Amino acid sequence: MSLLSVRDVHSGYGDMQILHGVDLDVNAEEVVTIIGPNGAGKSTLMKTIFGLLRLTRGQIEFEGREISGLSADRIVRLGLAYVPQVDNVFPSLTVRENLELGAFVDRHAPRRRVDRVYELFPALRPRQTKRVGTMSGGERQMVAMGRALMLDPKLLMLDEPSAALAPNLAATIFDRISAVNQGGTAVLIVEQNAKESLRRSHRGYVLAAGRKCFEDEGPAILANEDIGRLYLGGA
Amino acid sequence: MEQLVGVLNYIVFFGISAGIYAVLALGLNLHWGMTGLFNIGVAGFYAVGAYASALVCGLPPSAWDARIVGGFDLPFVVGLLAAVVASGVLALLLGIPTLRLRADYLGIATIGIAETVRLMLKNEAWLTNGVWGLQQIPSPLYEAIHRLTSGYLRAHPDLRPWQQALVSRAYNGFYLLLVIVIVVILYRVLRRLSRSPWGRALRAIREDEVAAAMTGKNVFAFKLQALVVGAMVMGIAGALYAHSARFISPASFEPLYGTFLVWVMLMVGGSGNHKGAILGAVVVWGIWAATDFLTGYLPFTATQVAALRVLAIALLLETAILWRPKGILPESRGKRPSHS
Amino acid sequence: METLARIPQLLVYGVVSGSILSLGGIGVSLTYSVLGFSNFAHGDIMALGAYLALALLPAASALGISGRPLGALSFGADFVGALLLAVVATCAVVLTLDRILFRRLRNAGRITLMIASVGVALGLRSLIQFCWGPQPQYYSAKIQRAQVIPGLGVKIKPDQIFIVATAIGLTLLLHLFLRHTRIGKAMRATADNAALARVTGINAERVIVWTWILGASLAAVAGILIGIENKFIMPELGWQLLLPIFAAVILGGLGNAYGAMVGGVVIGVCEEVSTAFLSTAYKPAVAFVILILMLLVRPTGILGRRG
Ligand SMILES: Nc1ncnc2c1ncn2[C@@H]1O[C@H](COP(=O)(O)OP(=O)(O)O)[C@@H](O)[C@H]1O
Ligand SMILES: [Mg+2]
Repeated sequence: MSLLSVRDVHSGYGDMQILHGVDLDVNAEEVVTIIGPNGAGKSTLMKTIFGLLRLTRGQIEFEGREISGLSADRIVRLGLAYVPQVDNVFPSLTVRENLELGAFVDRHAPRRRVDRVYELFPALRPRQTKRVGTMSGGERQMVAMGRALMLDPKLLMLDEPSAALAPNLAATIFDRISAVNQGGTAVLIVEQNAKESLRRSHRGYVLAAGRKCFEDEGPAILANEDIGRLYLGGA
Repeated sequence: MEQLVGVLNYIVFFGISAGIYAVLALGLNLHWGMTGLFNIGVAGFYAVGAYASALVCGLPPSAWDARIVGGFDLPFVVGLLAAVVASGVLALLLGIPTLRLRADYLGIATIGIAETVRLMLKNEAWLTNGVWGLQQIPSPLYEAIHRLTSGYLRAHPDLRPWQQALVSRAYNGFYLLLVIVIVVILYRVLRRLSRSPWGRALRAIREDEVAAAMTGKNVFAFKLQALVVGAMVMGIAGALYAHSARFISPASFEPLYGTFLVWVMLMVGGSGNHKGAILGAVVVWGIWAATDFLTGYLPFTATQVAALRVLAIALLLETAILWRPKGILPESRGKRPSHS
Repeated sequence: METLARIPQLLVYGVVSGSILSLGGIGVSLTYSVLGFSNFAHGDIMALGAYLALALLPAASALGISGRPLGALSFGADFVGALLLAVVATCAVVLTLDRILFRRLRNAGRITLMIASVGVALGLRSLIQFCWGPQPQYYSAKIQRAQVIPGLGVKIKPDQIFIVATAIGLTLLLHLFLRHTRIGKAMRATADNAALARVTGINAERVIVWTWILGASLAAVAGILIGIENKFIMPELGWQLLLPIFAAVILGGLGNAYGAMVGGVVIGVCEEVSTAFLSTAYKPAVAFVILILMLLVRPTGILGRRG
């Protein structure tokens, strides 16, 4: 049984339907990447899974349990965590406060979790009392991921984690994603320029115009010439 | 028959007040309904218009035992012009520092201007006669019409009392006509403006300021123009009020009468719709006047009933916001920019 | 020369009234940053608190709290009891308003909420007028002697010391609350990024309830402090407070609670000091002039951030 199962999902904004029946699975301890052109509905799919947009049709199950219709704070408690594409930190709060808020729904969360995030992102430890708003894009992305990891989620959802980062920083982020995955957390990543992401993924999906149009193992998608030409900026 | 004349007389009075409010509501409709300018200081522009016209047209102060600079006994039309200019200039001065900022700032600044205007009316007695206000403001064509009616009454001594009463009050009827004519003119002008490219630009700004700016519109200039023109309309309402009441004082321009009622009228009538603004003025002024009759029937003191009437108006506003946010006459869909 | 000699004393008065404005401004700032709209009813919520304290004074006495003046202050423990009761009652009114009105408008947009709050302001004022009438209600008829602060040559009354101390104490408490409690951090997070707060699992409705509670409590206390300082209250109080409070909030940077604190004191001091040069009749306009100057020079406020 898959950890997350998305079946025939339709959703959008108000009257405007963006997703027209998407199917997707993430198995336990797996890394899955969704690629697709700008505006394909990748972010919309993430928001829908997380209960921020209403389903008009279809269903979403997590560990065999229907989660569509649940509020975000219930979904967080089930073990999903989500890092949005933009505005994914609290800029006027400190690094430490951002991280602590990640564990907001669990008031008994052990304090050690913060230290574990610092182990994963050592650059953050010396800056823990700094306001995140004053920090660089790479550091913000680390804070955002750290915040999401505070509850030890079963599934981490990342929306374009490397989008605005310099190549070396992006590589660091992908290393960390792999490290998180080694610890047993499944990861669902959305990426636009996704070679690096696919290389590290067990499986990948191609989403276009609100529909799933391809599914395969990560490296196989990379090797697929059509997809390379269409979505990965040339082979 | 006498009773009927009484009722008629009341209707005329009611019509004059409702008509003046319709002018205010049309002005606010240009601000809020069309452009999205959050003006909660309508009373300020209204008051400035009233005082400007009263000072220009008023009798010399010696005639009513006051010491002020003003009272030039000029014709009504000049007063109207003075009202328009004064309110427009006030709006210009207020708009420049606030219209580049978000709506909250304009809102609080308009409260500020209305209060400051009220303070000045109270304290600059050399111009405004302070809390005693301006008195004996002439009504347009009053002498001429009075001469006509009294001549008619002298020539027809055999009229019944109700007929006499009717003739002797003909002036109020004339004033109502004047107000109606001005409402109609303003309605037509504003409707024209709102269908023009200028009006479309204002609505585009209301819907999405950023998008409007991206299509190359000078958003600030359009907003300033709308603020000034709307304030001018409010100034006209002030002049109409001054010349019908014939006495104005700072108390006439309290926020309740000068601002809140107008907002409720526009929200109830339908903001964005000029007919809605006029209808709202008549309906809400009707409700307001009707609640006055309750005074005798409720087991409360007069001030308590007055408070309850205001509470009813506040509840009316909330009711409109919750259950009929577009008002009785919603803005027609075709007028809204397509991207919304 | 004589004018200049009055300034130190006016500064003292300014700090007293400014500290009250700060308490009001903090509430406006909190609602603005969490709920996203300027609450034009805030002045009238303050006035409501001031009236409720008077009304609940007999209740406090009935609870057996002594009315003997506390030290040199003009009021007794019963009044402090009434203050606490008034805070609770004001919160109850405001939460009811949220339930029946503001909550239904959560998705209606900022400006609709502002208009609704103008209606609430009008409604509260008319309720006050209905219950207590248009004439002033007196807090304390006793004349309190001002005491000279040694070395500074300025006078201050014990009540005024109480006012400033209360304002400072509450501000500190609020600071600690926002910094260190779970819900305080959730409030700051929501103010910062409401969408991310949801994703983090923060219950927006609970945060909103707490925002109203804090804002209304501070407002009620501020209103009561005005009653203590002025000795009387009137139904127009709330409307008159709106301008100086918003000037304070904008001066400090809209949505910045700490800025509102500073802004309040600045406005209070400017208002009082202006009376050395201008007719006192124009005191209420001073806040407006400062506001306009501020908007021209630095619309983001003294402590405001850009953008
Ligand atoms: N908040 C929103 N309101 C309305 N439409 C939106 C919103 N966000 C995105 N869209 C539209 O939904 C479509 C898909 O967007 P998105 O899911 O962000 O694409 P992707 O993440 O794949 O680039 C786009 O056409 C976009 O314009
Ligand atoms: Mg996206």
